[in-house]
Amino acid sequence: MKGFLGQVWAVAAKDLRVELRTRERIAAMGAFVVLTALLFNYAVDRTAVHPREIAAGLIWVTLVLAGLLGLGRTFELEKEDGALQGLLSAPLPREALYLGKVISNAVLLFLVTGVTVLVFGIFFQLEVPGNPLPLAGVLLLGVLGFTALGTLFSGITAGTRMGETLLPVLLFPLLVPLVVFGVSSTASLLAGFPPAEVVGNLRILGAFTLLALTAGVALFRFIVEE
Amino acid sequence: MSIRMVRWGGLLLGLVGTALTVYFHWQVFFFVPTEASMGIVQRIFYIHVPAAWVGFLAFGIVAICSAMYLWLGEEKLDQAAVSAAEGGILFTTIVLLSGPLWAKLAWGTWWTWEPRLTLTLLLWFIYVGYFMVRSSTENPERGKRFAAVVGIVGALNIPLIHMSVLWFRSLHPQPVVARTDGPQLHPDMLTTLLTALVAWLILFFALFLLRYGTARLEAEIERRLRSSHTRDLPGRGTAAEGALTP
Repeated sequence: MKGFLGQVWAVAAKDLRVELRTRERIAAMGAFVVLTALLFNYAVDRTAVHPREIAAGLIWVTLVLAGLLGLGRTFELEKEDGALQGLLSAPLPREALYLGKVISNAVLLFLVTGVTVLVFGIFFQLEVPGNPLPLAGVLLLGVLGFTALGTLFSGITAGTRMGETLLPVLLFPLLVPLVVFGVSSTASLLAGFPPAEVVGNLRILGAFTLLALTAGVALFRFIVEE
Repeated sequence: MSIRMVRWGGLLLGLVGTALTVYFHWQVFFFVPTEASMGIVQRIFYIHVPAAWVGFLAFGIVAICSAMYLWLGEEKLDQAAVSAAEGGILFTTIVLLSGPLWAKLAWGTWWTWEPRLTLTLLLWFIYVGYFMVRSSTENPERGKRFAAVVGIVGALNIPLIHMSVLWFRSLHPQPVVARTDGPQLHPDMLTTLLTALVAWLILFFALFLLRYGTARLEAEIERRLRSSHTRDLPGRGTAAEGALTP
């Protein structure tokens, strides 16, 4: 098992190292969330509704869109120079490749999530809950569920002519449970409700993530096969 | 089953299904009593509800055939899945068109974010994705595998989507047929509903068989074209294939 986990980590570490050196995706996603927050400022009529009341929804929409931006490029690097062929012919189970990609995507998106919460907090004067851990937990679970499903589907769209344009069509209908329960948990935590209020929602987010990971592990090999 | 039998079976079922569809529309307009509280608009129910059931059944077939296709790699299973998906998208479209017609009169709005409405719309989009993926790969075999994955993940996710959309307050009328204490319908209404259900099930399987027969024929043509190529007879392929041969 150590061998398998080592392989997962090798894939994730490779992607993260590339990202650390180029900082391409994180820069694009980071700029995206800040600029989206800026646009939301003008899109919401402050006299009619206080942004604080809808901040949870705005944060999640921004995260989904930023995540899409990053996920679309999951296999972009591998498309060049036949690198995907190299990865696939390496003595590496497909499941390890998938899980490694999920981890590197999740790390990236979770960093962007931090930026998003910070920026929205400043722009929309959000009250930070006394204990930020439950909020971080909700967002981490959301990020994991999103990347588990998104990595599988970006593997699909990377193999099509339409590429990233197809990703939202495939992904959005399936993300509904994540958004419904993620937004409601985030909203109640931001409103200062005790963390016990969101335990039920967290269970469903957890179930979604588990389901997405299982489906990804089981089905990923059918996607990368030539 | 030979392709010829599949196509004749489809034609036969199609005739029976069409006749029954005409018959149940007669029932809807002239036979069934008008519902007391909702009035005449309730008659859409007999078109709407069976279509939803058939649509959901179709998507179940898609998921099962897709999973078996990935497992066994049998071409016919993919052809069955795509045939069921086309039927499913047709009946789901009927649900999505008939629902708002009723809702405008009963609820006073074309659309509301009501659980079953939302679920059906999302289901419809999942299978739009299924077809888009299928047709957007260079290698058709890959497209089939991609579509199968979309079909399976979509079906797995449906219970969760259902749960999450249910979370909002439900406006939709509560089930009147599938209840533990037996159907709560006037007998004539139940008759009409069941006739409609049988009619559309038969029509669905007719479309399924016809589409499946076509898919089998296409695969057969493809196979013969390829074998004529290997026998070194140029000019038999399609224009695209001809352009590729040196």
